[in-house]
Amino acid sequence: MNQLLIISFFKTKASWIGLASIFFAGMLSLYFGGLFIEETQENERRAILLQKENIERNVQHHPKDIGLLLYYQKFGLVNQVSPLASLAIGQRDISPSIQRVNIRNLEEQKYNSRLANPVYQLIGNFDFSFVLVYFIPLVIIALCFNMISEEKEGGTWALALSQTNNTKGMIRAKLLLRYSSILVVLVLLLIIAKFYLSIPLNQKYAAFCLVSVAYVSFWFAVVWWVISFHLSSSKNALVLLTIWVFLNVIVPAAISGIVSLVYPIPETFGTVVKSREGYHNKWDKEKAPTIQKFIKHYPQLAQYKHPKGARFSWFWYFAMQQMGDDEASAQSRELQQKVKKRIRLSENTAMFFPSAHTQLVLNSLANAGLQNQLNFMQALEKFHERKRLYFYPKIFSQTASTTEKWDKHTLAKYEEQSEVNWLQLLWPLLLGIGICLGAARLNQRKFYHL
Amino acid sequence: MLKAIDLTKKYGNHTALNQLNLTVNEGEIFALLGQNGAGKTTTINCFLGFIKPTSGQALVGDASVATSPALSKKYLAYIPETVMLYPHLTGLQNLKFFSSLAGFQYSKEDLIYFLKKVGLQDDAHQKSTKGYSKGMRQKVGIAIALSKKAKALLLDEPTSGLDPKAANEFSNILIELAQQKTAILMATHDIFRAKEIAHQIGILNAGNLVSQVEAASLTALELEELYLQTV
Repeated sequence: MNQLLIISFFKTKASWIGLASIFFAGMLSLYFGGLFIEETQENERRAILLQKENIERNVQHHPKDIGLLLYYQKFGLVNQVSPLASLAIGQRDISPSIQRVNIRNLEEQKYNSRLANPVYQLIGNFDFSFVLVYFIPLVIIALCFNMISEEKEGGTWALALSQTNNTKGMIRAKLLLRYSSILVVLVLLLIIAKFYLSIPLNQKYAAFCLVSVAYVSFWFAVVWWVISFHLSSSKNALVLLTIWVFLNVIVPAAISGIVSLVYPIPETFGTVVKSREGYHNKWDKEKAPTIQKFIKHYPQLAQYKHPKGARFSWFWYFAMQQMGDDEASAQSRELQQKVKKRIRLSENTAMFFPSAHTQLVLNSLANAGLQNQLNFMQALEKFHERKRLYFYPKIFSQTASTTEKWDKHTLAKYEEQSEVNWLQLLWPLLLGIGICLGAARLNQRKFYHL
Repeated sequence: MLKAIDLTKKYGNHTALNQLNLTVNEGEIFALLGQNGAGKTTTINCFLGFIKPTSGQALVGDASVATSPALSKKYLAYIPETVMLYPHLTGLQNLKFFSSLAGFQYSKEDLIYFLKKVGLQDDAHQKSTKGYSKGMRQKVGIAIALSKKAKALLLDEPTSGLDPKAANEFSNILIELAQQKTAILMATHDIFRAKEIAHQIGILNAGNLVSQVEAASLTALELEELYLQTV
């Protein structure tokens, strides 16, 4: 029987079109993913050269004045792109992978980034996670929505029902056939991705693959539940498409809306303004209070002084810059807390909606989510602080620029380290599968009647 | 072999079948006549377990359809008014599929034997059923029933739409099956064919079995007259 079901399935054009469209869409997404990784790597290569060239040029222009050199000189920190980001670009296209900062106040520089084509960003990326989360469920619906109804509408159901009491087994076999066909294409794509995009075989890739399989399984469970009501083909299609729109369009939009509503972030603008005010208004004020605050922040730098009566010194200037960050620090912390809360709320809400959960989880595994961006910003703060603490004594003791070993100031790298929490990744999907299969069992009796 | 005891089916206030009592013995052909909506298909569906009777019992052998659906279905084969097959499979593959659904694993030779027995031309065996005529599909339907080696056969207007030659071939197969001890319950509009092949004839009107006669006891014209008087 199974062999004949396979023949019947593969003799249908729709089956080939559905499977081929997943394959080609998947291949296209891998190509775009590859382009993204290439572009990121190219940016990194260029940033390495740019930093080296800039340092050489600045040293040439300011051989004696290291303070002036460091006024201009920027140092880059790379948020290393995981190879998995080629499969789930997530927010990597809107969040810069390289941040270049000088040692002046940081808050203002945090949000200076290169923006790619904004129209392209509006459309989003045609990456593998898009194909998985949005496209594959549509093909699953197209291949399965009429598995029972076509039997009834085509007249074969009565004959089959007269032959056996196990028509449910027959339909289950049809479903498993479609399930395994799509899994074969999915696994094939993941194998191609592994080699084409040089993705290492590690725990994260295993988790990525497992979540993909669980997500596809979830949609098959949804289809099984809906068709178990034995509705007509048109009703099945309507119900399934409504579920698709709800889970893949309405829920993500609603989560985004709710998160913005519950945790508005006026601090984004406020932090920058506060930071700018923090140092700009120090130009016209007494220098002593600024310096006192700076020494209070860095007591280890108390030995350095602002020359009495001088209108300018790098000591005072960088102290003033420091005030920009210090005065905006409360708002900056508040902003980070709010972003953290937004992430938690999104993740917790998405746990009850498998499509949103899958998208967030894939982004997270690929280090392409908002959490990664937040972690990177925190790493940038530490990086900036290290640079400051390294250069402040040199600036304040007026060391010549040429004495510094600039070769060691290469592009720094930040690589996110996170563990895979298998249970957290999978339970929402497994729960969804369980609920759908359980609900379908309630319709079991319908399999024995016309 | 087939027995209906006070079989009743109601849909709300409408009684589709009212306390039907009938018996079809081994080797007997029982033709159920009646207008559309008289209850013929409902009777067959009750035996098949497709619908649950409101009261009464349908028995196949000793097995009650309600309490032993699997056993009763094992004894039964069914040919609907229009046999619909999987269009992407050949006649042979359709037969293999449906017989395997019933739990039979036949060799290709056995399957061809069944198709030949019902008179499906050889060159059609390996062709997709997409191009089959109704008669050809009915023949595959009979082959499916034969392959099940059922003790009872239920037919719902099986000759409707068949050309006279195909209908005649079909009748001959039924007679042969009856000779092999198969009990046959056939719902039909075709009075003359019923008279020709059936042993017992029942006339249903609005769910009631208003008349039951032995086919041999009256002529075709008398049967037609009786039918017109009772419905």
